[in-house]
Amino acid sequence: MKRFTHVSPDSLATATVALNEPGATPVGGGSDLLGMIKDDLTAPDHLVRLTQLPGLDTIAPQPDDGVQIGGMITLTGLSRHPVIRERYTALAEAAGSVGTPQIRNAGTLAGNITQRPWCWYFRQGFPCYKHGGSRCFSRTGENQFNAILGGGPSYIVHPSDTAVALVALDAQVHVVGDGGDRWLPIREFFVLPSDDVSRENVLARGDIVTQLALPPQPGTRSAYTKVTDREAWTHAVVSAAVALVVEDGVCRRAGIALGGVAPIPWRVTRVEQLLIGQRLTPELAAAASRAAVESARPLSRNRYKIPLVTETLRRTLLSLL
Amino acid sequence: MGRISRRSFIERTGAIAAATSLPDLELRGAAGRGNLQPADPVARTSIRLRVNGDTHVLDVETRWTLAEVLRDQLGLTGTKIGCDRGECGACTVRVDGTTVYACSQLAIWADGQDVETVEGLADGGHADQMSPLQQRFVEHDGPQCGFCTSGQLMSASALLDDTPHPTRDQVREGMVGNICRCSNYNRYVEAVLDSTSPDVSSPRALTSIGTPTPRVDAVERVSGQARYTGDVQLPDMLFARVLRSPHPHARIRRLDTRSAERLPGVRAVISRDTCDVIWTSGDSRNDRFLFNNPVRFVGDAVAAVAAVDRHTAEEALKAIVVDYELLEFVLDPEAALQPDAVEIQPGGNLSANGRGLHEPEVYERGDLEAGFAASDVVLENDFTSKHINNAQLEPRVSVARWDGDQLTVWAPTQGIANTRRDLARDLSLPLESVRVVCEYMGGGFGNKNQCQDSDLIAAVLARNTDTAVKLEYTRKEDFLGVHGRWPTRQYYRVGATRDGLLQAIDLRGYSGLGPHRKSSGGIAGIELFRCPNVRRVVHPTYTNMTVSANFRGPAYPQGVWGIESMMDEMAHALEVDPVAFHRLNASRLYMDETPYTSWALPECIERGAEIIDWTSRWRRAGTRTGPVRRGIGMATGAFSARTGRSSARLRLDGDGRLWVHVGVTDIGTAAKTTMALLAAEAMQMRLDQVTVVWGDTERCPYSVGESGSRTTVQTGDALLAAAADLTRQLAERGPPQGDAVLEAEATTNPRIEGMARYACAAHYAEVELDMGTGHVRVARYVAVHDSGRILNPMTAASQVKGGVTMGIGMALHEELLYDRATGIPVNPGYYGARVMTHLDTPEIEVHFIEPEDAYGPYGAKPVGEPPMIPVVAAIGNAIFNATGRRFTELPISRDRILEALA
Repeated sequence: MKRFTHVSPDSLATATVALNEPGATPVGGGSDLLGMIKDDLTAPDHLVRLTQLPGLDTIAPQPDDGVQIGGMITLTGLSRHPVIRERYTALAEAAGSVGTPQIRNAGTLAGNITQRPWCWYFRQGFPCYKHGGSRCFSRTGENQFNAILGGGPSYIVHPSDTAVALVALDAQVHVVGDGGDRWLPIREFFVLPSDDVSRENVLARGDIVTQLALPPQPGTRSAYTKVTDREAWTHAVVSAAVALVVEDGVCRRAGIALGGVAPIPWRVTRVEQLLIGQRLTPELAAAASRAAVESARPLSRNRYKIPLVTETLRRTLLSLL
Repeated sequence: MGRISRRSFIERTGAIAAATSLPDLELRGAAGRGNLQPADPVARTSIRLRVNGDTHVLDVETRWTLAEVLRDQLGLTGTKIGCDRGECGACTVRVDGTTVYACSQLAIWADGQDVETVEGLADGGHADQMSPLQQRFVEHDGPQCGFCTSGQLMSASALLDDTPHPTRDQVREGMVGNICRCSNYNRYVEAVLDSTSPDVSSPRALTSIGTPTPRVDAVERVSGQARYTGDVQLPDMLFARVLRSPHPHARIRRLDTRSAERLPGVRAVISRDTCDVIWTSGDSRNDRFLFNNPVRFVGDAVAAVAAVDRHTAEEALKAIVVDYELLEFVLDPEAALQPDAVEIQPGGNLSANGRGLHEPEVYERGDLEAGFAASDVVLENDFTSKHINNAQLEPRVSVARWDGDQLTVWAPTQGIANTRRDLARDLSLPLESVRVVCEYMGGGFGNKNQCQDSDLIAAVLARNTDTAVKLEYTRKEDFLGVHGRWPTRQYYRVGATRDGLLQAIDLRGYSGLGPHRKSSGGIAGIELFRCPNVRRVVHPTYTNMTVSANFRGPAYPQGVWGIESMMDEMAHALEVDPVAFHRLNASRLYMDETPYTSWALPECIERGAEIIDWTSRWRRAGTRTGPVRRGIGMATGAFSARTGRSSARLRLDGDGRLWVHVGVTDIGTAAKTTMALLAAEAMQMRLDQVTVVWGDTERCPYSVGESGSRTTVQTGDALLAAAADLTRQLAERGPPQGDAVLEAEATTNPRIEGMARYACAAHYAEVELDMGTGHVRVARYVAVHDSGRILNPMTAASQVKGGVTMGIGMALHEELLYDRATGIPVNPGYYGARVMTHLDTPEIEVHFIEPEDAYGPYGAKPVGEPPMIPVVAAIGNAIFNATGRRFTELPISRDRILEALA
């Protein structure tokens, strides 16, 4: 591994200053970052560890029945928390589906939603867009796990499970940076390659994801389904997070996002609109699921994702009926 | 003094051109950056770790991982490093009670925290002080090679603290972060479930063959005490790293190592310019140097560095400047045989046969065209199998030390005698000057058969620096720089009469060797069927993929998949069920001409059919309906059980202890235990009176390498001959008294005249295929084996379970993918290979038929390789039965299934 210095600041202010040093990079659980340094995929001079910052590893139910989650909560802590399991089931399930117990014990929520792509080409150090190059090798290469929606010029898929659940659950993200702090809807957090191919999210140098807030969702039931090509320890081939309010068989509210299909967690507003106000039947679930992939444009080896994500979404919807 | 390099130095002249001509294809990390300025010494930080209750204050570099510090600074080598990327789980430890991958944690992050390692589970690793969990791991035969065992234990202990009475599924989920490539998952789960039952018994003391017996070295393997090559620490030892080609085919125009040599802490840099040692076991047809020019695959070694620590050695690699001239490359063996294909080795891309001719390997019997003319049904199909890696948990590592002209190499090898012979030959040393040691070995499945280039490179660097050197391969290097299973393309044409009798089999096959001939590249399996007219033409072909050679049952799993798929199709076309088809057509004489010494294949077929209830569960393929379709399939396999030369030495001392000297390393097969059982049985002694001496050429006679599943048969034969001699001596002279010792050594090489000797098996798989998601679940798996007399039913069944699980991975998941445009592999490693986990593994039901056999120790035949052979075919046939679709390209992955069903 290359050499680097390391600090573990105990306040956000010092963390922000440290992160503005040239060559600084934030680190949470570190599993992914250390692997990337070992593989020379990134070469930071200075690690700023965020796990010792006070108050960032808690889950705080709010008076309005929402909940605020510290960015440095571990995925294990998140997946096991009774409030998350009960009220935001999709998020608990998504967190519990990440990697392995060892990875979830170390990995943090903020780290999970900001992890870099797992496209083969990126991970093998091909000089692709994500490494500052001018090509996407997957577009004509081994693209069985790449994007069918929202791709171009890069065709990565966003690797985070929790991000998909957070999008379906309408989370807000709190970001602290050099110029102060801000809340933004998670839908505005992720960045498509067509907007800026060099990044996956809006974070600027020195920005820290400190909190995620989930709004109160009375009557909402949610679920996360992850399809993998071995039973564990891998990213989603496709996934679906669904949050529904169903009253007397009629869908009143819907939040639906797909994973493994696009460079960002892919919210399918059109599907939500098809469901809201309608009686939820198996036929409607099937029709709405087909609508999710209407605009899909598969690459040479990932056409199978179209029926797969359709079926995955259909089953997830049915599980909440 | 041994001559290491035939050219001891080169003159450095002129300026060296910097960088390469095609920066667009330079991979990050893979290529030289050049001109790295010598850096200041790395600052250290003081940390306080509590490890297994003891407090340590340590000065560490920021970049050191917790795994490195535990192993290198504290000597707690029970924590293993299998991948160094959080992809395998061998380094699992507990920090403040929770499990983490110690390779993916900086040591400074554990400052002030409590760390528990495998060494903390028991005091001193003695049997009477082991935890109940460790005890159960011993009793249930948890560890095969043992390299993953510490991590499995740490996950299990955390699971049990959290969930004292887990269900089977909870155990599998709790331990899913720990890969076992020996795939002994069934055993680990049994052990954990059993550890929660109240009574803990002491290990059973057993005395003879045929009784389920825990491994004689299981305690070492479950307590972190077993010392593997990577655990060897020598005073002042240097660390070495290898620079590898990022290109599939390129000529090195110039190589500049001067910046690397100037880095503080760098002691030696070698490359083709300074070292022209030929690695003879790396290629049986061509001169394969330790460093080649041109480089012929991504991962080909270009240079090596020895430095004071591994990080400095890695930094030095980046300072080496290589100027490559890119050459055309070819990945596919059939394309490589086209007239306009780039020539990878002199003489052409079709590898020369045993007579030195560039011709395919041909086997023929009968009259093929007459056979097809006599057939009522003729079927054709072709099959494509892929390169997959052996992926044993222990990565390649070599430690070399010179004492004057004496070379000692610690190597994780399947054959200490082979490795010694190869080292002596390649370094022009007398055999007596070389000692090879392998105390414990973390799996190989065929890719640690021979001397590896790492052994030679470490020896050269140790000589050049006059210091001991440890050369470690990363997991990616192990995937790309050693070898995996050869990919094949198999074209079949098969004919049979309407009454179901085979008349003709025609196979034209191509196998991709990579750029070196390290093994046969054969395609085996037609010998499973009787048929009067057969032709098999196989083209072992050079390509610019990574090297292919032996991997568990080398030529069989892919070949049997092809031929058994054809037979399944033929049965379907003839409208008979596959079991009935096998009854008619399964081999009765080897190649229809030579009788077997024993051959219980018919019984294996019948027993398996009965156990899985074939008659009531089988329905014609394609007749199932519904969203989840069940299917049942079967296939057979066979593997040579030949006798051959090996040696063993027995010593009986005045205390009544029997010392068994055998040159085995025990690659996870329980060879040591088998040898102890055989000795105890032959000498009519208790197992606890027997001590095995193994893994050191200084202390052991020649034994055949642990490849080809030969150890039990061949070294066992020698051991029994030595025991017969010792028994005679005992009868003549009585038991030795005081310091006296009775000793007997035997070398045997039994001949079998006019007969063939084979182990065989019939496997049955039942799958459920989810038509909506393409998900395949192996619902049931029954393996029935004729491995002759079973000497240790416990460890033999573990072998079968492991082989089957590995085969399921080959059928459904694994493939080393190449980017076709650049010739660069894109998914090396456990994550990319989708190696089977606890949660992917079904319960494997194992049964043995034990026919009498006049050869081998007590009639024993091979167990290690046969279990992997029929699996891909059995799974593929079950999927055909479920869906009516024949998949002809491996792996039968979700994407292929959904594409086919669309």
